[in-house]
Amino acid sequence: MIRYDHVGLRYGIGPEVLSDVTFALEPGSFHFLTGPSGAGKTSLMSLLYLGRRPTRGIITMFGQAIGSMSREQLVPIRQRIGVVFQDFRLLNHLSAFDNVALPLRISGRPEKEIRNNVEELMHWVGLGDHMNALPNTMSGGQQQRIAIARAVITRPRLLLADEPTGNLDDEIGFRLMHLFEQLNRMGTTILIATHNQVMMDSFNHTRLILDKGHLRVEQPETPVALRDKIIGGAP
Amino acid sequence: MKLKKGGERVLGKAQKRRYDLPLNKGSGTGFLVILIALMTFLGMLALASSFALSAMTARWSSGLENRLTIEIPTRQVDGSLLDKKGVFTLTRDIANGLHGIPGITNIHVLSEEEIGKLVEPWLGKDLLQGDFPIPGIIAVETSDMESRTLQNIHGKIKTVAPHARMDTHEEWLNDLLRFTGALNLAAIILALVIGVTMVTAVGGAVRSRLAIHRAEVELLHLMGASDRYITRQFQRHSLILALRGGFIGAVFGALFLVLIGWVAGQMGVAILPDFRLDPVQMMLLAMIPLVAGLIATVTARWTVTRVLTTFP
Ligand SMILES: Nc1ncnc2c1ncn2[C@@H]1O[C@H](COP(=O)(O)OP(=O)(O)O)[C@@H](O)[C@H]1O
Ligand SMILES: [Mg+2]
Repeated sequence: MIRYDHVGLRYGIGPEVLSDVTFALEPGSFHFLTGPSGAGKTSLMSLLYLGRRPTRGIITMFGQAIGSMSREQLVPIRQRIGVVFQDFRLLNHLSAFDNVALPLRISGRPEKEIRNNVEELMHWVGLGDHMNALPNTMSGGQQQRIAIARAVITRPRLLLADEPTGNLDDEIGFRLMHLFEQLNRMGTTILIATHNQVMMDSFNHTRLILDKGHLRVEQPETPVALRDKIIGGAP
Repeated sequence: MKLKKGGERVLGKAQKRRYDLPLNKGSGTGFLVILIALMTFLGMLALASSFALSAMTARWSSGLENRLTIEIPTRQVDGSLLDKKGVFTLTRDIANGLHGIPGITNIHVLSEEEIGKLVEPWLGKDLLQGDFPIPGIIAVETSDMESRTLQNIHGKIKTVAPHARMDTHEEWLNDLLRFTGALNLAAIILALVIGVTMVTAVGGAVRSRLAIHRAEVELLHLMGASDRYITRQFQRHSLILALRGGFIGAVFGALFLVLIGWVAGQMGVAILPDFRLDPVQMMLLAMIPLVAGLIATVTARWTVTRVLTTFP
């Protein structure tokens, strides 16, 4: 569904922050994107949500080569992608409801359908009582759930999340991961950038590992190997 | 939840429609409204003056085409003065002589009373009393103003009374048309300046709004909002501001025009006696705020579209 072929990215005239990145995301798959800070995770994410174009390489999304497409042609592709930004990027002048409704309004759905869908989803993420609240009056965890609800309200085919558990305590982090798994079982392809080792070990998914702009793919470990590693790693 | 409804208060329908971008929040919109109000005000004055000017031109020049006047002064070429009878005879002779000339459709010898009425504002009523000789005047209408016709008339006049003058009003009319043409050009230039000022102001305002809300605009863009979707928000915002400013400017402009009309009437300024805007002209004046709205909308659209093309 998503295919990267020798993709490179540089900012301005700086060095390449991504070099020869090659990988594929199959429909319905679940991947982690990991690597040390500064390795280029956020940069790769921004390529994936079409926030910028690569400086070289070929990117295929939903069966279409992105490189030759016009700005206008990218619009429907963007509408198939849900993004949870690291800093949420909620609109603070809009209510929680309107924030979640935004992607539906952008794609021009009728207001009645919007109301039903948004209310249902907000109840599902536990914000049924906060629909009219403004984001900056809400806790970090609540804001994150708005951000996630907004990312999934259109039932995107690809969901991207950049360090979604970054500044959350473990319990909320795990609850969030379960939510992503649930979405994944419903068919959404998921890519989560994280450097939370515990999280990755607990949810055994293919890892895309970035290091100084180079990417390698690591298949999930078998349960036995995983157990050995955990036991062996303990003193 | 008052805060949630960030809708505009001007248009009843827009009240329910929220902005995705907080364009209606924050300062800086007052400036634009005032500027557009001023521009609308100026635009109304310029257009109204232009209307008055064309009415003036029409009135002054109407009836001057295909007409000429022949004046028989009392002082002859040799400096001697004609008496009343002499003037009368010469005038009659010329009038009779004109009858045979082709191209002339009407000849009217002005009576003393008519001449008196003409000169009364300048010379007073006393002129007609007594024996004081006054010039003779013949008003001639022709079917054309071709030089052959004019030459025939001129030749005839000269044979009867060498000191008589023929006035085709041409010079005066040309001066008038040059003058009103210049004023109209000034009005057009003023309208252009007003338009350019509005485009610049709205463009600048939209650009700064875009800069302030760049993060939000980028977010909409990343969520798959088309350029049209984003542009529409700025368009609507600019349209509402421009209509608000245009309405204010139009109200003051109308009041001002009424005031000018009233003052002119009080002062007895008779350049344009009973000049009234006709319904079409009033409609055109009333459309200026709409034009302001249109300019603002198009400018906003153009500005935002241009900035958006720099987005990936
Ligand atoms: N907008 C930018 N302009 C220039 N350099 C950037 C920009 N964003 C990231 N970089 C650089 O690219 C490299 C990768 O950054 P990033 O993608 O944020 O890594 P990560 O998310 O893995 O920490 C870093 O060296 C960073 O300094
Ligand atoms: Mg990062």
